[in-house]
Amino acid sequence: MREIKHALFFMSPGLIMIAIFVITPIIGTLYISFVTDNGIGLDNYAAVISESSPDKALIKLEDMPRPPPWGALIHNFVWIAIHLPLTTFLGLILAYMLKMVYGRSIVKSIMFIGMVIPMVIGGLIIRFMFDKYIGIVPRLFGFLGITMLDKTWTSYPDTALLSLILGSIWLWTGFSLTIHAAAIDSLPQSYIEAAKIDGASTWQIFYKVVAPSVRSATLTVVVMTMLWDLKIFDIVYAATKGGPGGSSTVLALVMWLYFARALDYGRAAATAIILTLLTLVPATIFIKRVVKRSA
Amino acid sequence: MLWQEVKTLKETGAPGKVTLVVYGPWSGKEEEYFRAVINEYMKEHPDIEIKYVVMRAEDLATVMPAQFAAGISSADVIITPWAWWIVEMAKKGYVEEVTGLINEDEYVSGIVDKVKWDGKLWGVPFTMWLKPGFWYRKSFFQQHGLQEPKTWDEFMSLLDKLKNIEGVKNPIVTGDSVGWPISDIVEHFIITFGGTDLQLKLIKGEVKFNDPQVKQIFENYIVPLIKNGYFSEPIEWTTAVSKWWNGEYGLYFMGTWITGMVDDPNDLGFFPLPGCKGVVGGADYAFVPKFAAHKEEALDFLKFLATKGQEIHAAQPAGKIPTWTKVPEDKLWGPMQQVYRKIKELNLAILPDLDDSVGGDWQTLFWDQLKLLWVEPDKLDEVLNTLTENFPSS
Repeated sequence: MREIKHALFFMSPGLIMIAIFVITPIIGTLYISFVTDNGIGLDNYAAVISESSPDKALIKLEDMPRPPPWGALIHNFVWIAIHLPLTTFLGLILAYMLKMVYGRSIVKSIMFIGMVIPMVIGGLIIRFMFDKYIGIVPRLFGFLGITMLDKTWTSYPDTALLSLILGSIWLWTGFSLTIHAAAIDSLPQSYIEAAKIDGASTWQIFYKVVAPSVRSATLTVVVMTMLWDLKIFDIVYAATKGGPGGSSTVLALVMWLYFARALDYGRAAATAIILTLLTLVPATIFIKRVVKRSA
Repeated sequence: MLWQEVKTLKETGAPGKVTLVVYGPWSGKEEEYFRAVINEYMKEHPDIEIKYVVMRAEDLATVMPAQFAAGISSADVIITPWAWWIVEMAKKGYVEEVTGLINEDEYVSGIVDKVKWDGKLWGVPFTMWLKPGFWYRKSFFQQHGLQEPKTWDEFMSLLDKLKNIEGVKNPIVTGDSVGWPISDIVEHFIITFGGTDLQLKLIKGEVKFNDPQVKQIFENYIVPLIKNGYFSEPIEWTTAVSKWWNGEYGLYFMGTWITGMVDDPNDLGFFPLPGCKGVVGGADYAFVPKFAAHKEEALDFLKFLATKGQEIHAAQPAGKIPTWTKVPEDKLWGPMQQVYRKIKELNLAILPDLDDSVGGDWQTLFWDQLKLLWVEPDKLDEVLNTLTENFPSS
């Protein structure tokens, strides 16, 4: 009993802060999301889900197949589908390869730059990276004679979303690399030595010994990346503002549009709740895993 | 007692002085030009200190409503080009009414109306910019024997000549940002080929964007120019200034603030599309939040901004003209006097900016859809229908 009292005493400042700055705004947002001109109801949710305007639609899949816009929610899922596996795999393989070379700390530091620069700046860098006149990517394609990609990617609906996703791989791979590098460094050297004695090649050691041994780190990267992809905003805001023609919009940007441009706080709150519910899925998986591991 | 002293110091900034916090959209050189106005006011009012904070319209819209809802305001005076936003805030009871603070008859026609609601005035206009047409370098035109066009055919011939000049990538450079440079071009075509009335009717929602008279302007003039490569693809608008100035493009459709962005404003010339009868103008507006800490002083500064402050600002190389008609023309910055005189000679009516007037999220949609049209002109019908379907109902 005395221990519980002590625990409560020491936890109380944190609990009070959480109650004021986390719980209260969540309850407030939840409340606002149900308030409409006609009283309390689901109108805001219905309006957000059924919105058809290309810059605010969540799902827009008529006349498929065609280039974006496909709706903000779909764009988020496309982001996850491309960004998540590439970032995770790149981080893992780079971490493994760097273990075998000198100067890996320098390379890791360079890779980590993407993580430390503000995402708004990251968005601007992406915009310039894919600019026809000064960007390296269109110039590279121009040099290779692929003229259809020698253009400002962020200005065209068929390439805008892809340019943001590819750019974000550069920004986020440092995270995957750091987590995986820490996990690989902590592996007992004997595992790898034993595999070498058995005649395993570098590649076999990687996918039969290293990759399975760092599963926990990979799961952390997967869950954190999924969360990052779902709540992505800054990059899109700085690089394309969701355009052209709504082809690169994402959920968080839709929420911002309702909030800061339409001044429609009910719909902004409803979008925020939808976004929160979606992020709860990977967050719950992660928490369960952590609890299971510590039990 | 000590607490009282601390409180007084905190509120006033320095003993005996009142500190007014002013939020405005200008940074860099533009901030310098606005600081000239602030400095003059502080010279006239030694008991007032003004702290200027850069806060763009979109940042204001994100931050301030939450403060207002909580009954506080971190600024005493707020300046923004979004008149619609001031009105929206006024409707929620967040803005101090300023009816009677200025003589509304002394302002450019229609400019005050944008901050009126319920028959009352909620903000005051500051200086304005104009978007008079296509800018060119006089020396470049001279070098290549080019002249301002007087007819549409001459305009097309000029574009063809520009296209054939070595080193010119496209005759007209398209500025890119959130989308307003393209909307300015489109509005100019609407005014030229649809008349000043059409611009006003589109703003009021009396004519739809998919109306045949609007559609034919796009189909006959804008889309062919895009398809035939007369316009460049959108290029970040400040980068576009230097590219155009260096001769990579012949013409640039931009507002009068461009006069303050080039190395030699005396080498600048402009022409509207032949037959154009109107020019879009927009102003910055200042208002006092209901919860301002120093309301009385803020209102006095507001009055200064709307009157003498405009004279000071218009004398700066900011590319602005006063909305207060009491400022004599010779008080304007030299290059702007020439621009202003030409606009008067051409007898161009000053019209409200379409997207600024409608505002809200439709403005963002308008910009974004036009950016889409610029790279995929075949989607004209889709763009016009989207703009029509999403136009605010009231």
